[in-house]
Amino acid sequence: MPLDLSTLKILDPSRVRVLEAKLDELTLEVDGAVYSGVRPRRPFPFSHPEIVIFYRGDEEVGMLRDYRKLDPRSRELLEKVLKVIYFMPKVRKVLSIRSVEGKYEWRVVTDKGEVSFYSWGRCVRVLHDGRLVIRDIYGRAYIVEEPEKLDGRSRLYLSMMI
Amino acid sequence: MSRAADEEPLKLYPSPDELPAQVKAALKDGEEVVALAVTDLVGSEYGEGYVVLTNSRVLAVNGKVSEEVPLAKVTAASIRGYINTCVLSLDTEEGPRSLAVFTRGRLEAFDKLVTIINNLVIGKIPYNLLKEQLLNKMKSEQSRKSARAVLVKLLGLLKPIAPLLAATVAVAVAIRVVGLVPPYLMKVLVDEVLTKARADYLPYVIGALLAVNLANTALNTANAYLNTKLNVAVTNTLRSRVYRKLHELSLTHYDRFGSGGLWSRIIDDTNRVQWFLTQAFIPLFINAAMVVFVGATLVTMDAWLTLIVLMPIPVSVTGNLIYRKTASRYYHRLWRKWSRIVSVISDTINAAVLVKSFGKEPEFERKFEQSQDEFQRAQMDVFKFEQRIWPAVGLAFTASSLLVWWFGGNEVLKGKMSLGTLMAFTSYMWMFYSPVFGLIDNVRNLQLLAVAAGRLFEILDLEPDVVEDPDAVDIELKGAIECENVWFTYDGIHYALKGVSLRVRPGERIGLVGPSGSGKTTLAKLLLHLHDPQVGALRYDGIDVRKIRMRSLKRQVAIVLQNPVLLDATIAENIALGKEDAKPEEIIAAAKAAKIHELIMRLPEAYDTEVGMQGSRLSGGERARVALAAALLKDPKILVLDEPTAALDALTEDQVTEELERLTRGRTTIIIAHRLSTLRFTDRIVVMENGRIVEEGTHEELLKRDGLYKRLWEAQLKGLTRVGAVEVSEEGVRVEYAARPQHA
Repeated sequence: MPLDLSTLKILDPSRVRVLEAKLDELTLEVDGAVYSGVRPRRPFPFSHPEIVIFYRGDEEVGMLRDYRKLDPRSRELLEKVLKVIYFMPKVRKVLSIRSVEGKYEWRVVTDKGEVSFYSWGRCVRVLHDGRLVIRDIYGRAYIVEEPEKLDGRSRLYLSMMI
Repeated sequence: MSRAADEEPLKLYPSPDELPAQVKAALKDGEEVVALAVTDLVGSEYGEGYVVLTNSRVLAVNGKVSEEVPLAKVTAASIRGYINTCVLSLDTEEGPRSLAVFTRGRLEAFDKLVTIINNLVIGKIPYNLLKEQLLNKMKSEQSRKSARAVLVKLLGLLKPIAPLLAATVAVAVAIRVVGLVPPYLMKVLVDEVLTKARADYLPYVIGALLAVNLANTALNTANAYLNTKLNVAVTNTLRSRVYRKLHELSLTHYDRFGSGGLWSRIIDDTNRVQWFLTQAFIPLFINAAMVVFVGATLVTMDAWLTLIVLMPIPVSVTGNLIYRKTASRYYHRLWRKWSRIVSVISDTINAAVLVKSFGKEPEFERKFEQSQDEFQRAQMDVFKFEQRIWPAVGLAFTASSLLVWWFGGNEVLKGKMSLGTLMAFTSYMWMFYSPVFGLIDNVRNLQLLAVAAGRLFEILDLEPDVVEDPDAVDIELKGAIECENVWFTYDGIHYALKGVSLRVRPGERIGLVGPSGSGKTTLAKLLLHLHDPQVGALRYDGIDVRKIRMRSLKRQVAIVLQNPVLLDATIAENIALGKEDAKPEEIIAAAKAAKIHELIMRLPEAYDTEVGMQGSRLSGGERARVALAAALLKDPKILVLDEPTAALDALTEDQVTEELERLTRGRTTIIIAHRLSTLRFTDRIVVMENGRIVEEGTHEELLKRDGLYKRLWEAQLKGLTRVGAVEVSEEGVRVEYAARPQHA
């Protein structure tokens, strides 16, 4: 028996409205029914960030194939929440990487300002589209959107860690 | 009995000149020797006897034929074991007959012989199949026997990089030859320039010395470059050969070597071959060249003094031999003492509760002190032992160099030899020693190289055993599988499947049960053509498997193994293995069907989570469900599930089983299970034992039959009632471990 896609509860974006957003929670209206305390989750945060599944507690409210098809106001509210849940600084420049007592000390400039953090040796993951995810010793992730467009020095530093 | 210990105690299909005369004399015309086993005892004395298995008889021969049993009368072979000895015995129609006695050192060989005999008399394996498989096995074993043959083959493999190899050797030899020049120039400087006060020669000699140094630097750079390049080229050549070979091989070979075995061959053995090649093979040429060059130079300078130079060599060789023989003993003891210390520490840490609760701290402290002392003593012994050898060897060298100075000095004083010559001679003398000892090491390392290379050829020489016909075609499977009188062995001796025949209708769901090692997994893999039957036929929808293109078959079948291993990739990628262009929502649907979606969504990176090497970041049950999701996404016509619920807890097992019932509807499915409850929805249950199908039918039919299935079923029921009931009392939940009578 082929796979049953009906288990997915796929929502029609034209029938979904986001009414309210607060930190990681939304108030959602689906087909006229209002759900509060809904938390959006991305099943594929890196490879398909446009897909969102809504949860209320452990219960699945439904899934949007592409949340960008929501009306502008709803999309804005949802993105506000997604930015909290999927907070991830974008690295613009690598200032230095030093080896300190078996760890690596990074100093980088991100879209959120200059940050420094420590990582272990194997800490850079290359995504399918070429983006890089750097993970520090606390498991925090920093993303490099277009590594090939960084300055030469940053690229040299990064190439040592990949 | 050291001679006998070196000999191969079991020979398969020995050539006529491998047969002892007394065995040859006992054979009838046209009788073929299958196996010859050599005993190390005759009665209760050391001595050699033979047990011969031919295509018609089993013979025991010591001087004369002492026992003779026609194969047709043998019902089974077995070995009885005592403290040091074992006895080979045959069960015959007329009762048991003891054939030969041997020590436990020969047990492995005789165990193989017993298996071969039993394959014939109990397994009823067709003689021709047995012969073919045994010959195959011998072929692969022989491929790594002869060191010289292996080395020649290795060079053949390295042909593409032969120019590089030659250049490396040439440059290395050139460096040594250039190194010979400075002492000669010093001789010229002393004898011709300084002594004779020829200032006009001085710039030339200095210039020549400079030139030699420059050449040396250039050659050394070239040498380093070539060496690096060669090392990389050798490993890459070998590794990619072995790696490519892996893909040609069927799972049969993977199973035979084990994943660890293959792993070490690709990684370790290629490295080892590369290491020995650069450490033994290339230096062999360099050292040989040096011995010749320097030796010749020494002799031309002064033949008598050269004899003195040779003097310490026998002393040193002897010292080295003694060292190698004895050192291992001292070092082994040192290592034993060290592991004592480690074990005391590890006990203290790992069994801290025990040590502390029993108040054993003082005892452990004493133990620790004692093992420290013993370690220190062992270390001192190593020191003393080395001091007994190396000073003596060093003394021999000092003596010979002093003698050279004594005799050479006298000749210089008498004016028979120039001072420069003597100085050059002593320099060359030290240059002579190192290549001589180098050669000894090289030869030893060459043997090790042959061993490592032999292990590589064991893989490289294998013939791909799943072969498709050149005119094979793509087909759309309906799902019928049929295997007929299938025999299968991994190692040529033990048969995992013995004449199995099974017909599966399209869409039929078959449960496969039986004790461990009964051949269930082998049969399941064979039904997907991951193994090729050595005898018998395998057909899909009535078409012989060799006529079906492998790609088209693999697209339509799926297997979920008992302990599935995942790729080092994301969960999504691992699930999408089942379907190249899988849409994200299909991946989610597959995960939901395999009851793993909720768990994945609880991970911060959800489906984009990397699972780590072999899926190490997931638990066994999680891996099993990811693998199941991949198989379901493939939507295969034929699905094999090997213990799909083994790693799951009872609750999840129940859910997954229910889901499986739905997902396997209309799909040919083979489910292997120990927990018989997983099989409740199957159409038919096939019971295997010892490589054969012993029972077939529905659950109810099999229960009525009072056979192996019924015994398995009852054992599981008993297990369930014995696990312990959960009782809820006022204190909360209490688990009662006491066994309860079944009918309580």
